[in-house]
Amino acid sequence: MQEKKTKRALILFSHGSLLCGSGEALEAHAARLREQGEFDLVSVGYLNYTEPRFSEAAAQVIAGGASEIVVVPYFLVPGFFVTKSLPEAVDLARARFPGVRFIVSPPLGDDARLADALLDAALNARGPEHWRDPIGRAALACRPSPDCPLYGTPACPKVPEAPLV
Amino acid sequence: MSDALLVMVHGSPRPVANEDMFRVVEQFRRRPDAAARFPIVEVGFMECNEPSIPEAIDRCVGGGAATVTAVPYFLHTGTHVCDDLPTLLEEARERHPHVTFRMGDYLGLSPKLTSLLAARADEAVLSQTS
Repeated sequence: MQEKKTKRALILFSHGSLLCGSGEALEAHAARLREQGEFDLVSVGYLNYTEPRFSEAAAQVIAGGASEIVVVPYFLVPGFFVTKSLPEAVDLARARFPGVRFIVSPPLGDDARLADALLDAALNARGPEHWRDPIGRAALACRPSPDCPLYGTPACPKVPEAPLV
Repeated sequence: MSDALLVMVHGSPRPVANEDMFRVVEQFRRRPDAAARFPIVEVGFMECNEPSIPEAIDRCVGGGAATVTAVPYFLHTGTHVCDDLPTLLEEARERHPHVTFRMGDYLGLSPKLTSLLAARADEAVLSQTS
């Protein structure tokens, strides 16, 4: 049998939200990491509400040929979701895909790059007319979901009126 | 009169969850470029912990801040970032009409965090192979 190079995938793990567009920042990180090309495959896997769920994301990168998956929690601190929910999800995936190696990293925690980000954000801060902008931007990245609090309201770019039942 | 940075944090029933954030804020305070631009740095919590965001704003103003720059220490947008935090700042503007308030992007939008995610991935791989 021919020796194959290990295909390595990165999955960013996050909680997910009822607000369907709230993943804008995380999807942007995933897009940048994909562009950087260090990992053969980059995906986002959510615990709740948002698709794809972690197990689905794992199945997708494995179908894409990944034999090693690095999981980085997109969380600030190792709270319940990082210390309990994530290991449970990884254990299920390990049982389902015994040939695949899963490596889990700590969350963002404490790092000089967070202080850098704080300074950048402060230096680019804006006046009151822009304080509510993020909701509009987040909505641009969304999928129509009846679970989203904006669904069927004028603020939803996909389904701005309540659909007839 | 000087500029203040207000770090707006969600807050947690487990105060230990704030320790990393306080370490990051301490790094900010120790950076000469950051300290020169923002001589006053306060942390305010939305819930669970003290000081509250309005209290932290009052501390900034009490410390002589002419401008308060608020940054949400949040990874995701949502109703807190889009609505609750702007509302708190709008209320603060009414309380302190002589102070200029500005709000920055939430932390999660920064590409610096992309680098940090990549670094966490690399560290995890290295720790497995060493």
